[in-house]
Amino acid sequence: MTNRKIKKVAVLGSGVMGSRIACHFANIGVNTLLLDIVTPNLSEEKSADKKNRNQLVNTALENAVKSNPSPLYDKSTIKLISTGNFDDDLSCISEADWVIEVVVENLEIKKQLFEKVEKHRKPGTLITSNTSGIPISLMTEGRSDDFKQNFCGTHFFNPPRYLRLLEIIPGKDTLTEVIDFLMEYGSLYLGKNTVKCKDTPAFIANRIGIFSIMSVFKLMNEMGLSIEEVDLLTGQISGKPKSATFRTGDIVGLDTLIKVANGLEYSLTNPEEKAFFKTPVYLNKMLENKWLGDKTGQGFYKKTKTSTGEKEILVLDLNKLEYKQQTKPRFDWFTAAKQIDNTSDRLKFISTQTDNGCKFLSKLNYSVFEYVSKKIPEISDSIYQIDDAMKSGFGWELGPFEMWDTLGVSRICEAMKSNNIFPEKWVDEMLAKGINKFYKSENGKKYFYDINKGNYELIHSKENFIILENYKNGKPLWQNKGCTLQHIGDGVLNLEFHTKMNTIGSEVLEGLNKSIDIAERDYSGLVIGNNAPNFSAGANLAMVFMLAIEQEFDELDMAIRLFQNSVMRLRYSSVPVVIAPHGLTLGGGCEMTLHADCAVAAAETYIGLVEFGAGVIPGGGGTKEFVVRTSDSFYEGDPQLPTLQQRFTTIATAKVATSAAEAFKIGILHHDKDISVVNIDMQISTAKQKVLELANAGYTQKTRREDIMVMGKTGLGMLYAGAEAFFISNYASEHDKKIAKKLAFVMCGGDLSQPTLVSEQYLLDLEREAFLSLLGEKKTLERIQSLLKTGKILRN
Amino acid sequence: MRTAYIVKGFRTAITKSKRGGLRFTSPVDFGAEIINALLNSIPSLDPAKVDDLIVGNAVSEAEQGLQIARWIGIKSNLPISVPGVTVNRYCGSGIETIAMATAKIQSGMADCIIAGGVESMSLVPTVGYKTVPNYNIAAENPDYFIGMGLTAEEVSTKYDVKRKEQDEFSFNSHQKAINAIETGKFKPEIVPISIDEVYYENGKRKKRNFIVDTDEGPRKDTSLKSLSFLKPAFKPGGIVTAGNSSQTSDGAAFVIVMSENMVKELSLEPIARLITCVSAGVSPRYMGIGPCEAVPKALKNSGLKLNEIDIIELNEAFAAQSLAVIKNLDIDISKLNPNGGAIALGHPLGCTGARLAITISRELKEKNKKYGLVTACIGGGQGIAAIIENLN
Repeated sequence: MTNRKIKKVAVLGSGVMGSRIACHFANIGVNTLLLDIVTPNLSEEKSADKKNRNQLVNTALENAVKSNPSPLYDKSTIKLISTGNFDDDLSCISEADWVIEVVVENLEIKKQLFEKVEKHRKPGTLITSNTSGIPISLMTEGRSDDFKQNFCGTHFFNPPRYLRLLEIIPGKDTLTEVIDFLMEYGSLYLGKNTVKCKDTPAFIANRIGIFSIMSVFKLMNEMGLSIEEVDLLTGQISGKPKSATFRTGDIVGLDTLIKVANGLEYSLTNPEEKAFFKTPVYLNKMLENKWLGDKTGQGFYKKTKTSTGEKEILVLDLNKLEYKQQTKPRFDWFTAAKQIDNTSDRLKFISTQTDNGCKFLSKLNYSVFEYVSKKIPEISDSIYQIDDAMKSGFGWELGPFEMWDTLGVSRICEAMKSNNIFPEKWVDEMLAKGINKFYKSENGKKYFYDINKGNYELIHSKENFIILENYKNGKPLWQNKGCTLQHIGDGVLNLEFHTKMNTIGSEVLEGLNKSIDIAERDYSGLVIGNNAPNFSAGANLAMVFMLAIEQEFDELDMAIRLFQNSVMRLRYSSVPVVIAPHGLTLGGGCEMTLHADCAVAAAETYIGLVEFGAGVIPGGGGTKEFVVRTSDSFYEGDPQLPTLQQRFTTIATAKVATSAAEAFKIGILHHDKDISVVNIDMQISTAKQKVLELANAGYTQKTRREDIMVMGKTGLGMLYAGAEAFFISNYASEHDKKIAKKLAFVMCGGDLSQPTLVSEQYLLDLEREAFLSLLGEKKTLERIQSLLKTGKILRN
Repeated sequence: MRTAYIVKGFRTAITKSKRGGLRFTSPVDFGAEIINALLNSIPSLDPAKVDDLIVGNAVSEAEQGLQIARWIGIKSNLPISVPGVTVNRYCGSGIETIAMATAKIQSGMADCIIAGGVESMSLVPTVGYKTVPNYNIAAENPDYFIGMGLTAEEVSTKYDVKRKEQDEFSFNSHQKAINAIETGKFKPEIVPISIDEVYYENGKRKKRNFIVDTDEGPRKDTSLKSLSFLKPAFKPGGIVTAGNSSQTSDGAAFVIVMSENMVKELSLEPIARLITCVSAGVSPRYMGIGPCEAVPKALKNSGLKLNEIDIIELNEAFAAQSLAVIKNLDIDISKLNPNGGAIALGHPLGCTGARLAITISRELKEKNKKYGLVTACIGGGQGIAAIIENLN
């Protein structure tokens, strides 16, 4: 990467995208200037006050920060964003290292703004446009060479904190250095999957994504499928987002969808392709009716209430353009397919079915596969960029080429041809060479089929990533049904969970102990990490519930001991163990994180001790660890109780951090040992580096602690009183209070007469006793049952 | 004006802070034990007839916070209808509360008040958890906020009190206190406290019980020689040591003050009467000299002369300040602290004044003497002096 440093960014335009892009820069610690037009229609008197002039931009930012899910990792980072307006403050962009234009999608307005920007911008400063449809080449007319050389498109997807795609679109004059820098900066600093595009209409993701939606519209019409059926078929079952096609349309807004489609129809030159993007009549009618989706209260679906006052979601009849009751679609294979966790396996299974639903999915695939094969090299030079764009921009679990690989390239080609659909000839040429897959992985590296070279090439931009899937063609070091141990190079092992939601049961714990044994014997250290959407939803509650119902308390005691001993082993081993939490990391997953030598957390980690929701206290060392951390934070003269109370409340309110930044704030991650990475693809490789760093610095096995200060009765009185206050004020139920008092007892080290130094094992014993006693409570079992059955927390 | 009598008084044993028998017990708990002992000792007194509970306390936060008087009342056998108020005149608190009770009863505002003081120096740091000297005062007179040990050094210098005198004074305090304990003189004052302890040993929670019934401070084995070896505690080259300063302690002491009418109604025999109690201010830098201003005021108030006072309890915050006060007021040391003082027995700040009132009342009675003087210096630069009359 070149030696550019981004210390300050100016974002021009504070709409939905602009304000949220500004927030994401604040997330990574960059000072951000957010500018927009002066509040319109101000009286002369009001106009004199800067506060009024900035009202538009300030309101926009406020709304963004209030929106859910939050655009900020941690609300307090808003202090990094300063606001202003184009009339008074545009000169401030001279301090910026990167100016991002996010104003309305109107070429003339953009050009006028760039003319002003040119007056204030320092030479060499990056200047990019967040356009989704306007050709990059048109925007720099009349600008200086320096402007043109440092200019390109940077297309973020909404919401920019969460959607990982960042399309980088070079103009014809853009310096290579600029593109290289943005590709790497976007990835490393902003955590994005940066995809280099060409300056073609709608770039990559929207081009293919809208094509796919258009194909859905056409095919459902031909095959007589309903909205309900299509949404069931194009949702999670086929590796697409849960909101599938129409529900997504409602969320994004039909106007947006139509705008991109119209843009494509307008700017494409091939008549056949142009025609394909012509929106169906019903869509235009809906636009006229302002049935735009969630933003106008109705779209393809409409929320209403029945005559009895129950909530009901109606669906649009596309022929009559009337809302009607939904009918539950039926596909015989659906339940069986749903059982298959692995997306590739599921897609293969579905492709063997023969009903109308499967035919629809096959035809949809053929249509998309044909299109993407023909769009290389027009929109991109390489297949992986198209796959990356679709995965990170549209939430597809597999990109089109990956899906094609999964279903069998040559088999699908034949099937396509028998349907009179012909992929671009390079596909046949590839097959003719005996290469029958678009991708291959070797020694943890992923290679793609390069059309220009006619052979496999390493995906260079991802050299630093460790993707566990790429190790799967080798034999694992050790494996059971719940987890797999791999050597990820340089003497570092990785233990990957693969249970349902990565829950932790006896198999995973066996794997953990086994992995540490193996690592201690022959390796430098261990990473506990996986590439699933969620690190772990916690301990296997179903097992706990079953034993509790049968009152097998001895077995339960054994199970909890095993969990406690395993997390203690994780901390007290002779090799460094680094954990890589991301996504949901709850309960037992959080407890493991607390015990690792180091956590390399993804910025998007939703982590917490949520055991109260299941009617118990953290029993796998989580409570103990919070007591240890409380004790470690005491200092001479410290009144101590506020710290204890804060720690107690974090568990008693089952607080879940909504980002790694927040996890640091609530004391689950620890600045002394843990770090976070913005790009989740870097997580395991960073964790591996951390293992090596710790090992090379001379890792010594830690000694079990006997020096943990507990408060005894000094703290217990306060926590009992606090629990009662929560109960009286209706924040806690009678059962919550009971659990809280058990938690208080453990966190104070019991009813000791005075603050005392105790051992970790003493606290683990107290924690386990409390956990077991709560499992003897009917209301606790009801809570667990509710979680298992409905996933909802029962407040009984 | 009505007459108010002290009819009963009890205290805990004064225990060493952080190491002694009351080190982990909440002052609410051991304070309430004394209240209960007082109530038990007068079966004819309906606890609901107690008009108020006035508690002296010097560092009213943490375990002593939340207006501790109320919680002592609630923890004790007093009904919930009996209120409580916490009073703070630092080291003078415990005698101040008895004065307030007396004045209220004399003026007809009450008939029966339990007054005294309590302090756990084990559980609450002497200056509290958040010490914030006022900026404006500190800017002008930063010396006003110096620690108590340094004020003793300042007094030593100003009044020319030598190290040797201080150590001798301290040695005598221990001798007198040991003698008092050995002859059982304190027994009638002290309520034994039974302590249940939950403690940690070898990874397990265990329980035990013990009784606290003897003052822990006095050292039989102390000698002039060993005192002379101690290093200065507050200032290099200084002369104030741990041995010639008062000890930090835990304890509670309370008396019942009653109107003449009620005393008659319940057919009680009062033990003493507080004639007067006054305070006076001095420079905070020389706070130890406070009694020199307070004692003359008290004498004037009561119409007595110093030589008419039979016994004097001068709180031994430091030997340095005690000796300075003795010199300045020309006190006859044969009358002074017959059972030893805070250097031997300890100084639980808010409790001390009440402890001295109880001890002097008993001593006056035992020796059949009439007038006693209780006086103490007070942090922040004050003195307090109270005159107590034996009624037997």
